[in-house]
Amino acid sequence: MTRMKRAAAAAVAAGALAVAAGCGSSGSTTTVTAPGSSSSDSKVLVGAGSTLVAPLLAQWEADYLKSPAAVTITYGAVGSGGGIDAITAKSVDFGASDAPLSPDQATACKSCVQIPWALAATVATYNVKGVPNNLKLTGPVVADIFLGKVTAWNDPAITALNPGVSLPSTHITPIYRSDGSGDSYVFSSYLSAVSPTWKSQVGASTQPTFPTGTGEEHNSGVAAAVQATDGSIGYVGISYIAADSLNEAVLKNAAGQYPQPTTGAIAAAASAVTTIAPDGSISLVNPPASAAKAYPMSTYTYAIVPTASSKASTLKAFLTYAISSTGQAFGLPLGFPPLPAAVVTHDTAEIAKIGS
Amino acid sequence: MTVEAHTESLALARRGRPRFGDLALRVLSGGAVLLVVAAIGLLVEEVVSNAWPSMSKFGPGFLTSTVWNAVTDQFGARYLIEGTLVTSLFALAIAVPTAIAIGLFLSELAPRRLRAPIGLMVELLAAIPSVVLGLWGIIVLGPLLATDVEPWLHRNLGFIPLFSGYPSASGLLSACLVLTIMIVPIVASISRDLFESVPGELKQGALALGATRWEMVRGVAIPQVSAGLVAAVMLGFARAVGEAIAVAQVIGSANRAPSSLFGQGGAMAAWIATQFAGTATSLQRSSLYFLAVILLVISLATNLGAQLIVRRIGRRMGTRA
Repeated sequence: MTRMKRAAAAAVAAGALAVAAGCGSSGSTTTVTAPGSSSSDSKVLVGAGSTLVAPLLAQWEADYLKSPAAVTITYGAVGSGGGIDAITAKSVDFGASDAPLSPDQATACKSCVQIPWALAATVATYNVKGVPNNLKLTGPVVADIFLGKVTAWNDPAITALNPGVSLPSTHITPIYRSDGSGDSYVFSSYLSAVSPTWKSQVGASTQPTFPTGTGEEHNSGVAAAVQATDGSIGYVGISYIAADSLNEAVLKNAAGQYPQPTTGAIAAAASAVTTIAPDGSISLVNPPASAAKAYPMSTYTYAIVPTASSKASTLKAFLTYAISSTGQAFGLPLGFPPLPAAVVTHDTAEIAKIGS
Repeated sequence: MTVEAHTESLALARRGRPRFGDLALRVLSGGAVLLVVAAIGLLVEEVVSNAWPSMSKFGPGFLTSTVWNAVTDQFGARYLIEGTLVTSLFALAIAVPTAIAIGLFLSELAPRRLRAPIGLMVELLAAIPSVVLGLWGIIVLGPLLATDVEPWLHRNLGFIPLFSGYPSASGLLSACLVLTIMIVPIVASISRDLFESVPGELKQGALALGATRWEMVRGVAIPQVSAGLVAAVMLGFARAVGEAIAVAQVIGSANRAPSSLFGQGGAMAAWIATQFAGTATSLQRSSLYFLAVILLVISLATNLGAQLIVRRIGRRMGTRA
């Protein structure tokens, strides 16, 4: 009798353990639908990456669920670097990055294609007591500031560009992104294009080694540090300018003009550049002088997808929607001008490469 | 039925049968140990194998090279190791005397009514998530350092190289102070427990012999618990070396020599935390694993060093620590 009771107790204990284990595994199945894991349900697409493109994806998510396709898009705005890692590990259906894949990343992300799916810009921002918005700067001056060669706001290099603006002698504090960032890539590519010194001493990367200044994490960290520091200068994704009411510096383009980073100025840069690199990336920084109104730190932001996906048809349909005029129309109010026709054609061919 | 009678009948019922409870205990506790050993083994294996490309390419030169550049694919840890040591040791230098003083106050000096609430507050400080402390460092501490503390230090102590340079909100000093706040509660609560463990007769005896309270603390209490204090300090050091998030938030993330506390720098754990997502090159990722190997070695050395010191003190004191 006692033996049976004991056996029963053991069975109950084993059952309890099994239940506990069951809880554990059901806990991990719920995270499957969260960003980080692929779901096998083809009515769900999971993506992760760029914070810059997140507001646009939020619009697409809402609209695409209501559309006949009725597919749920779950997007985790973990940053471009995190998005590249996630798609490399194939734990998501698509990644999103503001910087094209580096050669090593492309090798690691076996047979991935990068599809430019939105246009945006990186903007230089600053905070100097008493200095109004839209301070004029040139690429070489910004490079010298971030190289530590120009260290005061009343340096002749800056005052010469801004007649009529009284600039204080405040020390310049450059602020940059410490994490792997598409904005750092655009910023350092632009400076490499306009400053030979920058190109040889620092170069272009998602994580360049800045010789001076302070590193902060994510756009939000840079925005907060710029706001908190008198005399600071930094760079952020364009949507953070309005969101945090930051000052924007206007940069001299190749035509000698100082266009504001409006959707029109970004679109002007995009229509002036037609070269698509073999890896599918398009560099918009420092566009030619023929584009007189082009903003010089414009960029494409990319969807990164595997050419072999278990949800190929769903993925293809969503990407086609995103680059269509319907999808692109959501971008304009958010600061993302529509893609040029040539890029849409290129993208369509790239999307066709996705299979199962 | 009395309790004794009940246990006796249970014991009788068990006699002559395999002891299921004993067996289960052995399996469970043995399994738990195996799990830990396996976890550590797998972790070390994983970290070292991922670090291997960097280890074989840079070798010991990784420790002395000052370059960390994803564009040229050159990586070295010297500034990051120095940054880790400078911030951790500076934090210890402030935290240890403070924490021991708190421990003494709570165990010897504070009025009885205050001991429990103050002790609780010290322990609560240890419970604050490091990311929250980091945010506090960004929002409150950084601006205060940049506008008041660092300019003052610069004016009065600027002749010391560590206090030269331009004041800034994010930098090594910020990291030092945030780490200090993290270490204090750990060392304070351990040292309070240690001081409370000193036998009352010893303290009373010292006082009865005419020692002042300070003489009693210096001559009886501190020597009695010195081994434990060393262990507490080592624990604090390990905490400081391993802290990633809060340091990453306030240190200003730069691969530069930690020549001035006002300047920006990097510490290994924080460097791994900020750089790991989306590394540009595979060698960069491998080099981050190399940093993790160095951290593992440092924490191992700290642990062994602490045990050696504790054992030596224990032998000198004639007690086993």
